Amino acid sequence: MKFVAVTGCPTGIAHTYMAAEQLEKTARELGHEIQVETQGAMGIENELSPAAIASADAVILAADIAIEGAERFDGKTKIEVPVQTAIKEAGSIFAQAGAVK
Amino acid sequence: MAIDFKETAARHKQYLLTGVSYAVPFIACGGILIAVSLAFAPPGPNGAPDPSGSEILSLILKIGESAFSLMFPVLGGFVAYAMASRPGLVPGFIGGAIASMPQTLPDGKTANAGFLGAIFAGLLAGHVVNLFKKAPIPGIFKPIMPILIIPIFGALIVGSVMFVINLPIAKIMVGLGDMLKQMEGQSQFLLAAILGAMIAFDMGGPVNKAAFFFGASMIEQGNFRIMGAVAIAICTPPLGLGLATLLRRKLWNDDQRNAGKAALGMGMIGITEGAIPFAAADPIRVLPCIMAGSITGAVIGMAAKVGDHAPHGGPIVLPVVDNRLWYVVAIAVGTLVTAVSINALKAAGQKKENEAQPTPAA
Repeated sequence: MKFVAVTGCPTGIAHTYMAAEQLEKTARELGHEIQVETQGAMGIENELSPAAIASADAVILAADIAIEGAERFDGKTKIEVPVQTAIKEAGSIFAQAGAVK
Repeated sequence: MAIDFKETAARHKQYLLTGVSYAVPFIACGGILIAVSLAFAPPGPNGAPDPSGSEILSLILKIGESAFSLMFPVLGGFVAYAMASRPGLVPGFIGGAIASMPQTLPDGKTANAGFLGAIFAGLLAGHVVNLFKKAPIPGIFKPIMPILIIPIFGALIVGSVMFVINLPIAKIMVGLGDMLKQMEGQSQFLLAAILGAMIAFDMGGPVNKAAFFFGASMIEQGNFRIMGAVAIAICTPPLGLGLATLLRRKLWNDDQRNAGKAALGMGMIGITEGAIPFAAADPIRVLPCIMAGSITGAVIGMAAKVGDHAPHGGPIVLPVVDNRLWYVVAIAVGTLVTAVSINALKAAGQKKENEAQPTPAA
């Protein structure tokens, strides 16, 4: 499956990026495609293009803060989890996505 | 209904954390610049550092104070932004700005509604703006809603409410301070212990800030020892947890060890928030350990008459500290208490888990 994801945490210097890394790693292991946008203390990095969002099967929002540009994902299948979940059990998020589809 | 309530609470927590995430760099920037300016300033007439003699130091102090004065507006503004997106900014910022205005209390003292006031203003602004967004508006007014109607009326509504409740909230803040102040006479060690516990309890949240602002306001009144105890308590949670990941590496996974390094860095510059990743993952074990460390450090600092002239904590303010040796000792002991106790609790916890499941999954 194809995914796009956004990660974000309150301080925005550690967990945001740990979650992004874990999502990318787990997606590779499970044979999924994923692009992860990070919303940390540096602002938005690796921003998702409209095309990437349009072609994704589902959107993973792993954030403890309100993310910017949430309206970009209106109408998509969304999986919203705390940022910790992406770091600790990223596999379960993809399993959940498979079940939703 | 129970589920609804839980979700609402979770959302509001998200709003608050978003506001805090934008405010933290302002607090760090302001606190550190003020500390630096005071660190290099010669002592003035009353013994406190006095940067007014140097143009460069006065400039740095002013820049730091500007950053500090923006902290509450930014907090209020971005709590509202998280809730209501862009139209929330104006009423949120204004509510936060009003929360930072000094109020004259009945006894003639001044105080502001501060942290609590700014959070309240942000939430109120978010709700008000969201109501506006839902209102049925005739088509011709739609374009001016976000740039005229919502900012003006949102600001009027939030501003009016803030002017009414500012004084009561300021009184709560001062009441808290007075309660702590009265204890100073009775028992300074108990006071240090309570402040230490408050600093560690929510790592930069409202309880932490209440203790911090109490310490900072005592500086203005010429009492540097309260801030001394607070400054020690501020840095031991991240330092202790960071040290713990270095002492017994096997107890922590890769991510936690990385967070540990970041926590050490943040501890050195007096940012208690560095402890949050650990506390969020395992509050039951982490909170008691960091509170124990902060209490120990604060009490040692109070006993050794450590004083801090800057409204900031951690090893970075060492140049403006009285009794520097004891400041370092108190930080070291508090850090060790946290590090050793969390590792002991974690080791015990992992042993128990292994016993419960004889074949560990990982």
